[in-house]
Amino acid sequence: MSQLIWNGLFVGSFYALVALGYSMVYGIIKLLNFAHGDIYMLGAFAGFAMLTVAGGLATSAGFVALLVVLVLAMLVTGTAGLILERVAYRPLRGAPRLSVLITAVGASFALEYGMRLVAGPNPEVYPVRLSGTTVHVLGARITLEQLALVGIAIALMAGLQYLVMGTSTGRAMRAISMDPKASLFMGINVNRVISRTFFIGSALAGAAGVMAGAYYGKIDFLMGFIIGLKAFTAAVIGGIGNIKGAMLGGLTLGMLESFGTAWLGGEWRDVFAFAFLILFLTVRPTGILGERVTERV
Amino acid sequence: MSSPFHRRPRRLAALAGAATATLLLAGCGGGLLAGEDESDGTEGPIVLGMVTPLSGSSAAIGPYMENGAKLAVSEINADGGVDGRDLELIVEDGACDAKTAAAAANKLVTQEIVVSVGGYCSGATLPTLPIFNKAGVPMLIPAANSTELVDQGLDNVFLINGTGTQQADAAVAYMEKAGATKVALMDDNTSYSVDIANLTAERLKESGGPELVAQESVTAGESDYSANVNAVLKANPDFVYWTGYYQEGGLIIRQLRQAGYDGAIMVADGSVDVKLLEIAGEQNAEGILATMTQTPDTIEGAEGWISDYKEQFGAEPGPYSTQSYDAVRVAAEAIREAGTTETDAVIEALEGIDGFQLFSGPLTFTEDHTLSSGGFQILESSGGAFTLKDTLQ
Repeated sequence: MSQLIWNGLFVGSFYALVALGYSMVYGIIKLLNFAHGDIYMLGAFAGFAMLTVAGGLATSAGFVALLVVLVLAMLVTGTAGLILERVAYRPLRGAPRLSVLITAVGASFALEYGMRLVAGPNPEVYPVRLSGTTVHVLGARITLEQLALVGIAIALMAGLQYLVMGTSTGRAMRAISMDPKASLFMGINVNRVISRTFFIGSALAGAAGVMAGAYYGKIDFLMGFIIGLKAFTAAVIGGIGNIKGAMLGGLTLGMLESFGTAWLGGEWRDVFAFAFLILFLTVRPTGILGERVTERV
Repeated sequence: MSSPFHRRPRRLAALAGAATATLLLAGCGGGLLAGEDESDGTEGPIVLGMVTPLSGSSAAIGPYMENGAKLAVSEINADGGVDGRDLELIVEDGACDAKTAAAAANKLVTQEIVVSVGGYCSGATLPTLPIFNKAGVPMLIPAANSTELVDQGLDNVFLINGTGTQQADAAVAYMEKAGATKVALMDDNTSYSVDIANLTAERLKESGGPELVAQESVTAGESDYSANVNAVLKANPDFVYWTGYYQEGGLIIRQLRQAGYDGAIMVADGSVDVKLLEIAGEQNAEGILATMTQTPDTIEGAEGWISDYKEQFGAEPGPYSTQSYDAVRVAAEAIREAGTTETDAVIEALEGIDGFQLFSGPLTFTEDHTLSSGGFQILESSGGAFTLKDTLQ
């Protein structure tokens, strides 16, 4: 039982990191950024490239090297998110929502197959891999590397929480999510704040990508697809547009999958998890923490 | 499965071999003319087609198959071709994906191929069967081996690789030999993988030997299989058989070992790739068993063939290089025997083949158009490579 909970929390923290980007972007410009999962993939490959270039130096430095690479990869993916927003989404700011959605799908394909051109279609194996000692806590088998990764995830989320609730950029973000036009009239540089949102969300996804690469070891150009789908589910379950909701949704989805597998068998896991998505959309479309939205005329 | 790419070719069997000469015109915008020309298909090169994964999750395999087939084509052409006509090979990317493969098959049909010598992932090969069947193209499938392919009952489909049934037989035979008592099966929910897992499960139930304690399906394309690994280990197995492909296989081996499992792990032929061992990580990758058809490394007397291959492509042959090489040779033999590229005559010639020498032994097709003997053997990994462990003879 405790093992199931731990597995769920661990996987869920990856989902949560990626879901945050989805949720933030949706919260501000009501766009489902389908390329977000591919930013995660980009982060994993950026980390892979850096570790490969660093070679023996990285292998000997181990965990410290990974932390440095993690930060650098976050900068890379954050910048990629900026460019993506500038090139693909900003020109369509006033366009119908469907056009932007289709652009997002296009951006997703461009990133996937662009990476395939650069890195080739074969999976790559991370040169530095985490393998730590195992400790038993309440009957659950937990490795120190897992604890470290969950720790990093929690630190990143705490940082984000502070950024959104405690800084002026965060206040501007919240203002725009309430009413972009009014924010503009109040002298907020809307475009700049949107850019920053993309940077932050993409950086978090990139961090998750590096962490997944270092922990699981295998990366490939399509690795962002499924996690993108799962993160989207997590964001909806938690309440899309709500930051705490994304975190909670990620952990909930991880748990659902873990228990679904244990109760019904692996082949039913996704049925179980996505059935919950449908349930949420019917019964409580705003998610666990989402607020009731009243359409104003 | 229906797919938007299922289009009925305008003309059927008669055209399969026709108008190959006009293919030469296609390059200068004569593509439209190709359909008009009523040439009888007795001139110009004999075109063979191959759908194989050059991208996607199994992209590593495609070049092995393509090169194996190319080697056979160049050897046959050097010997004067088939009935004085050269062979030509067109390769299309199937990406191990049903939709992509169906589109690739349609493309090959419009290019008037005579015989198809491709097919790696069973799930992606399945939808190409009706396409080639309607177009009257005999298929010699070098790698894909799900019994679902056979169950379609199409007369143009021939399997050069051992079938899932034969692989399951080999797996169970080895489990008994190794003294396994509690076996867990894991598959990735694709046609090929589920097929072997189910067949193995059936045999385990019948055999009265090792007990089947768990059967688990995972979703391909993910990274975290800890929940599945947990479910399997709850049953306390001492032998785990993974029947999917190598990407997930590597992750599962690693996660099994991390979760403290130290029993035997065996993988099916779709996972036999050095990448499996790399992904699993050095310390986890020793002693991984595999059920596999013969590869150039494990065939005695293949050294000459390997050096030819290396000379032509500057790379080592890999899984399914030999089967693809053989598929082309069998196709050439059948066309030579039939004396024509006419569909029915070629199929009849294929059915009539008796003892044609392949890497896996003398070839005679069964009534189901499968190999009469599968030739599966057991490999074991050591030092980052697979070597022969047991021929099961």
